[in-house]
Amino acid sequence: MSSEALYQERHERIQKTIRLEPVGRIPIAYLGPAFTARYTGMPLAEYCEDAEAALAATLAATKRLDVGAINSLVVGRMPLILITSWLSHVKIPGQELPSDEIWQVEEKEVMTVEDYDFITENGWQPFLDKHFPKVADPAYLQESIAWVMANAGRGVPLFRENGIVTISSGALTIPFEHMCGGRSMTSFFVDLYRMPDRVQAAMDRAMPEILAAGIALAKALGAGGAWVGGWRAASGLVAPKLWNRFVWPYYLQIIDALLTEDITPVLHFDQDWTRDLVRLQELPAKKCILNPDGMTDIRKFKELLGDRIAMLGDVPASLLSAGTPDDVVAYVRDLVNLFGGRGLILCSGCGIPVNAKPENVEAMVAAGKEFGKARV
Amino acid sequence: MNEELIVAFSDLEEEKAVRLVKERLEAGDDPMVILASCQEGMMQVGKRFEACEYFISDLMMAGEIFKMATAPLEAHMAASGSREKRGKIVFGTVKGDIHNIGKDIVVGLLKAGGFEVFDLGIDVPPDRFVQAVQETGAKIVGLSGLLTVAYDSMKETVAVLNATGVKVKVMIGGGPVTAAVKEYVGADAFGTNAQVALRVANEWVG
Repeated sequence: MSSEALYQERHERIQKTIRLEPVGRIPIAYLGPAFTARYTGMPLAEYCEDAEAALAATLAATKRLDVGAINSLVVGRMPLILITSWLSHVKIPGQELPSDEIWQVEEKEVMTVEDYDFITENGWQPFLDKHFPKVADPAYLQESIAWVMANAGRGVPLFRENGIVTISSGALTIPFEHMCGGRSMTSFFVDLYRMPDRVQAAMDRAMPEILAAGIALAKALGAGGAWVGGWRAASGLVAPKLWNRFVWPYYLQIIDALLTEDITPVLHFDQDWTRDLVRLQELPAKKCILNPDGMTDIRKFKELLGDRIAMLGDVPASLLSAGTPDDVVAYVRDLVNLFGGRGLILCSGCGIPVNAKPENVEAMVAAGKEFGKARV
Repeated sequence: MNEELIVAFSDLEEEKAVRLVKERLEAGDDPMVILASCQEGMMQVGKRFEACEYFISDLMMAGEIFKMATAPLEAHMAASGSREKRGKIVFGTVKGDIHNIGKDIVVGLLKAGGFEVFDLGIDVPPDRFVQAVQETGAKIVGLSGLLTVAYDSMKETVAVLNATGVKVKVMIGGGPVTAAVKEYVGADAFGTNAQVALRVANEWVG
């Protein structure tokens, strides 16, 4: 079978999964990015510095695992994504960290309460222009962004040429996530209690620009899907009265904007979102994918949303690092049985951690192939 | 106990809690009695968290209120030397991990619960934990980590503590920590939230 024919077959299988139709074989997707470096023998410093080499390594890892899809294709330097998502300084291997140590986002209050007013008065981009030099070297940022602008459209076709479907590339998130990073979590959460109107004014002013930039990038990357990122906005962390005001309405805006552009929202929701799963019933049926990380109750998800939203996931990071192949196989078997052959794209929950045992990851793929076939 | 103060704390009414503490101090109330009401308020917050009425954001706000409201009490009690602690705990995020949010929440709750906590910060190597235990006489060590790479650091820390012969109990916590990780690391307990850490610490001191 040609690569293009293989791609079309896999693409159709994934589209049927999103539409919750039965498939002959459960699709399996890969998500590095840190594991990509280890799995291909590349130091993390090189992975972070050389975007071209990182792209090639991602393809190599995906092919070595022999899976048909990649959850989210990172095009560009990984630290750039972290810096721009959380408005925080990132310690980068090979720079502030040893060459093969995992990158880390520095939790530190950099954004001030006065910045809320600045955003409200001046907009989001002017705020970013004055904020980023506080957390990253401007030359590094400029160089990294320039590379993405020049190469955004290359990643998806490269994977397609190898028969691999890119489920999503690019990510948008709500002002809550950005500001939580910039202020540091504790300060930001306290702000929500102390000065809710001030914070919300800034969020509302920022939102149109966040949407426009995110959608423009998603289109340039060309995967047909984009992450809608949720980490610190998770239900398990945020009180309902805050979540209902500062989180969900903004996610609805992002999801609606993506669907309007015919881009599949992949709700990459780390941590525990079980309490508010019922809110996902407000989303159009069979158009979105939920990508949890193993902390959300997927049985509750199946009960509430099994006939509306597909799931991408959710083999937990801790299992892939500290578990055994047998543990992973058992988890996958239970997962496949729960979904009964439709609405599931098997994947790790969140990125496979840097210290995941290769035999565990390979066991996940093998189990997906064995248990996920021929249920029709 | 001051019921109005307890309710202000448990309802996360910052201004009211701060004001009430100030008023009671100015009225000549015993700072230890005022503190006891603040701590009871935090206990109520903890109970609401366990009942899933409150969430992490509420714990963070409660910690901030506790810090702001009890700051005037600290000065009074330091002067009189009248602050008795339930026990000593050495706490830190292990080597290779720089996350501090979870640690800070737990440390705040343990302090509010009457423990003397020696916070070693982040990216703490094993022998620093040993040194802190030897210097402070702490009988409890708390290891925090958010990354899966923290497991091996936790394991190494427990091994080093055991090798030096110090008699301590070790609790671990953080996003990816599970019972299986506790076994792997060789810890005595694990917690998935700050309230569990406080309960375990209270059980260990008796």
